[in-house]
Amino acid sequence: MEYLVSTLTFTGITLIGVLGVYMVTGLTGLFSFGQAAFLAIGAYVSAVLYKNLGLPLPLAALVAMLVGLAAGLLVGLPTVRLRRDYISLVTFGFGEAIIAVLNNTANITGGAMGLSGVPQKTSFLLVFASLLVCVAIVISYKNSKYGRQCLALRNDELAAKSMGINVERLKLVTFLIASVMTSFAGVLYVFYTTYVEPGAFGWVISAEWMIIVFVGGVNSLTGAVFATFILTGLPEFLRFASEWRIAIYCVIVLLILNFRPSGIFGEHEISLSFLQKLFRKGARAA
Amino acid sequence: MTIQLLINGISLGSVYALIAVGFALIFNILKFSNFSHGGLMSVTAYIGYVASIFIGHYVKGLPLFVVTLIAAALGGGLLALIVERVAFRRLRNSNSSVIYYFISSITMGILMENSVTIFASSNFYSYPSFFPTSVIRFGALSVAIPDLLTLLFSASALVILLVVLFRTRIGLAIRSTSFDTSTAKLMGMDPNRVVAATFFASGVLGGVAGVFLGINYTLYPQLGQLIVKGFVASVIGGLGSISGALIGAVLLGIVEIFLIGLVGAGWSPVVIFVIMLVFLLLRPRGISGVIVQEKA
Repeated sequence: MEYLVSTLTFTGITLIGVLGVYMVTGLTGLFSFGQAAFLAIGAYVSAVLYKNLGLPLPLAALVAMLVGLAAGLLVGLPTVRLRRDYISLVTFGFGEAIIAVLNNTANITGGAMGLSGVPQKTSFLLVFASLLVCVAIVISYKNSKYGRQCLALRNDELAAKSMGINVERLKLVTFLIASVMTSFAGVLYVFYTTYVEPGAFGWVISAEWMIIVFVGGVNSLTGAVFATFILTGLPEFLRFASEWRIAIYCVIVLLILNFRPSGIFGEHEISLSFLQKLFRKGARAA
Repeated sequence: MTIQLLINGISLGSVYALIAVGFALIFNILKFSNFSHGGLMSVTAYIGYVASIFIGHYVKGLPLFVVTLIAAALGGGLLALIVERVAFRRLRNSNSSVIYYFISSITMGILMENSVTIFASSNFYSYPSFFPTSVIRFGALSVAIPDLLTLLFSASALVILLVVLFRTRIGLAIRSTSFDTSTAKLMGMDPNRVVAATFFASGVLGGVAGVFLGINYTLYPQLGQLIVKGFVASVIGGLGSISGALIGAVLLGIVEIFLIGLVGAGWSPVVIFVIMLVFLLLRPRGISGVIVQEKA
């Protein structure tokens, strides 16, 4: 039972990170290879503030999210004006730079040895509640004016621009929301595992999140949630060797790309109205 | 002393140039950032290693080095052909959106990196030493032989590429397809063949770069992540411009060597990242000044 709860907690924390990637990649079509670096920022800033400076946890979490916001601005401001490729290249460099900073400030962050001895404050309920809040934020963003603008931007930036959408601001805002959300996931992460090291935040993590979003379906939040449970929850239970696990993901993704390019759920969401429609269709057929 | 550092920097920059040009070739023709290039370099570094071990029984020294380079280059070229076939051919035929190319290249990159991890485990290997690490003296100046050879071989690989690109029929085909795919197709060029040729050329450069990276650092599966240097060089030089990538890479190599002297190897990625950001703010189109627009 304890094992089940801990796996679910981890999956929940991952899911918050994936939600950030969903907003950036799934909705807006930007590719961030530095998403895991925001996780690192959230984890390290909050843990150091709490442990070394004795700040209360909510305040430490808040500061961590603000630092995440500032880092998002630093990466976002120069890149949103340019082709979308630039944001992936720059975030890749950002991820490397953050890891270098963590490795070189050993007197504060513990360097490559990692930061240990953080008290465990995150509980399953806290993660679950945060997850609900984050999902609510993402759903309302997706259904708002901004969400529809994001979709337009993703499909054709030039067309979106000519329809009067301020693409630069839209890209920046979406990227910033995702940065803050991921930093928050970092706070939850460090106060659950009680130990972090720079090696855990490489670009493979960011890429893995993108793959999860993609497997679920480029524009389907349901798909992203579903894929997170399948791809991070299940292997924990089934105890795959982790190297093979990632190789198998990759093969699955290549198959999906070649034969069903819109992902498992495509553009569909499981919502009340969708279920009703499905039900009605079934009734008519019967 | 300064001139010595300069030579080291240019030598390092020439390896970065191999990476950046291989990356720019694909960017030019398919208009997306090929993230699988890093994974390819990891694999070719190991291909070169295996070749050097097998052939090391028969030849030693410089010939062994040349054979290793050729093996890795051919391996890289063939691997790139496979990557093109598996990851991009169908996407191209169905005119997919750029997003899918991205995902496909990322996935392919991780897959290659992971295959190396699975087959070679995460152990560290290192290349046999090809040449005695002695120095050549030019008056007061002393230059390490490996640095000089790195510079020599990278520069020749790049020159060969430029000759192929600007003096042969296939090079003309590659350039015109990069410029406008549909017009090139109307002129009777087979896009599949041209794209395959481009991938082969990019893979060859990646293969040579992989061996040099493997010699400079040790061999480990994540070696290909040094592709970030190629990205930085392309951003500084201007995305998609081959001459820009060359200049950007050499500049990056020189700056990095001087930075290592100034702030140490650990901090240099941070400083380089900041330089890249400043560059993007001040001159987003890069040194070459050509900006690739999204096509309408």
